[in-house]
Amino acid sequence: MINFLFLVTLLIYLAASIFQTLSLAISSRSEAVVIRPTIERIAFWGTGIGFAFLSLFITLWWLTQGHFPMTHWTDSTAFFAWAITLIYLIIVRLTHLRALGSFVMPVAFIAILISYSFATHTAALPKPLQNYWLLAHTTLIFLAYAAFIAAFGFGLMYLMTERKIRRKTDALLDNLLPSLGTSDGLGYRCTILGVILLTMGVIVGSLWTQYIRDVPWRWLDAKVISTLVTWFIYVAQIGLRQFWGWHGRRAAYTAIIGFVAVLCTYVGVDLFLDSMHTYR
Amino acid sequence: MNQIVSIGTSHHVAPIEFREKLAFSEAQIVESLQHFRESDQVQEAVILSTCNRVEVYAVANAVRNAEAAAKILAEFLSHYHQISAESLKKWTYLHHNLETIRHLFRVTTSLDSMVVGESQILGQVKAAYDASREASGVGTILNRLFTKAFSVGKRIRSETTIAAGAVSISYAAVELAKKIFNTLEGKTVAIVGAGEMSELTAKHLVANGVSNVIVANRTYERAVKIAEKFNGTPVAYDSDLGFLIDADIVISSTDAPDYLIKRRPLADIMRKRKHRYMFLIDIAVPRDIEPDVSKIDHAFLYNIDDLEAVVASNLKDRQQEATRAEQIVTEEAKRFYDQLQIFQVNPTIKALHQQFREIADTELQACVYKTTLSDQQEAAIASMTQAIVKKLLHHPMQNLRCAVNDGDADHGQYVQALQELFALDVTDDNSDM
Repeated sequence: MINFLFLVTLLIYLAASIFQTLSLAISSRSEAVVIRPTIERIAFWGTGIGFAFLSLFITLWWLTQGHFPMTHWTDSTAFFAWAITLIYLIIVRLTHLRALGSFVMPVAFIAILISYSFATHTAALPKPLQNYWLLAHTTLIFLAYAAFIAAFGFGLMYLMTERKIRRKTDALLDNLLPSLGTSDGLGYRCTILGVILLTMGVIVGSLWTQYIRDVPWRWLDAKVISTLVTWFIYVAQIGLRQFWGWHGRRAAYTAIIGFVAVLCTYVGVDLFLDSMHTYR
Repeated sequence: MNQIVSIGTSHHVAPIEFREKLAFSEAQIVESLQHFRESDQVQEAVILSTCNRVEVYAVANAVRNAEAAAKILAEFLSHYHQISAESLKKWTYLHHNLETIRHLFRVTTSLDSMVVGESQILGQVKAAYDASREASGVGTILNRLFTKAFSVGKRIRSETTIAAGAVSISYAAVELAKKIFNTLEGKTVAIVGAGEMSELTAKHLVANGVSNVIVANRTYERAVKIAEKFNGTPVAYDSDLGFLIDADIVISSTDAPDYLIKRRPLADIMRKRKHRYMFLIDIAVPRDIEPDVSKIDHAFLYNIDDLEAVVASNLKDRQQEATRAEQIVTEEAKRFYDQLQIFQVNPTIKALHQQFREIADTELQACVYKTTLSDQQEAAIASMTQAIVKKLLHHPMQNLRCAVNDGDADHGQYVQALQELFALDVTDDNSDM
């Protein structure tokens, strides 16, 4: 039953990602006015329904596990996708910029796909970790990741728009993507949000180790170091922007580098290095 | 039957010398509508008179056919404006019924305009319609026709992009600026040199939110003079480009033989302004801005050719869209015409039904009065009479509706025959429709 629900969620996310990408692929203005509204509507409703299904799945999974599911890749990637969609939906609510979905929804879909491929796996969570610290710590971190992925999406939007403006002839033919200033500004806000959430997540994580005495805080933990590198990249970006005018194109590139850092922290460390954070 | 006709002239068929002779002033429109009302030849009329076209739309019902109705309009114009019948014939077009509807839809949706997609004409048609309504020149049919024309206009605007995309250089510049900046509010435009085009572009930018204007010129007096027009700040030109430090948009159109804005000094300026976006528009020939400037981060350079290419691609796009819009117009005109036909035979159908039903009711009452019937029997007879009425009318009505739907021109004669044969009193009151 729960597996079937998950399969449905997966398929809805697949459809939503395809339609989100399609809406971006439409480049001529006449197509844009005729079919894009339909495609966008399907994509957006798909996203909303997918999100509802995913929330339901996570809740049911939580209930069957008896604790906040964050032990295995299944749990973590599903939650990752959930966080990405949540941040995306909030941004759409605030800015009406659905185009962002074309960049973040495929990421969410891939996360769910990974999750689904591990779907039957569960792992026992050690007793000392079963508490609200885990919930707070991981939620904050994943929302931070999601905000960074949104910033990455805005970065790509910026670069696409800039390329169009420099190519000149078709600069005005498409009105899907917002102005350079808008992409840049929203990307920056997402970055700030991400940094705040990540900082809070790290603080909660370190307090947590203080709280449970028998898990010693290890500075040399691969995940901790990698997270701090990621944190530093984004903080540096904010600083450079404030003091040297590093916005626009440079900010877009930094958002992409940051995205790679996030992926390395999230996936890479687990696969190649040993860490107390490893998902089994 | 009602005939919808129009006579008109436009920039497509007639030179300005003729159009101005045919033009109506507001007072003349009122006077003409009054004339129509009194003459009793034309029941409804709308007169549209703009600088590009003069058109009269009318409904006449006391005529044999559309040609006769059109003749009334032609004679009126010829008489009113003292124009010979020959030149009227040469420079005007006549439309009947379906063609009139299609023409009005094309006019309202700007498909017949000089620049396809322009928005002015819709307002002009609305004004003409309102003027006629105030002068009680509009009845049921033109009321429906014009209301439909406006909704077709709306549909075309939402389903096609004939009105999208700048088709002039100055508007293209504004749209490009909007692609770069989050908002134009609070932005500063610098005009370097002088010229009609640059001032027009600056004017559009200001109208779209740009708040500061800087005017740079080699001669300071000249700068002061232009700055006055925009309530702007005059500055003296210097080759270090220091005056550009606050400029978000630069419009350059000097007659200088060499580049005025070069890459190296501009790169310094960009650094000083913390790489805030700068949109540079070079409309001078020979060019004022070194092309390499576009290699600077966040500096976007468009020269006159680039802008013209943008405009050309927008025009091409509008042209493609116009084909689609034409299809919609044709389809809507046909549908409206069919509805109108049904709408016009409806009173006759209604009257015929009513007559039959009344006869049946009277006879039923007489029958019930004479005999003693149980309630059940009475009900049975009542429903039988209703069924007979329905069945008797079934074929004639179906065939009449078919004739209307097939666009059969004879249906007018059918209607007339029905009215005469059954002595129907059909008032032209269509208010229930």
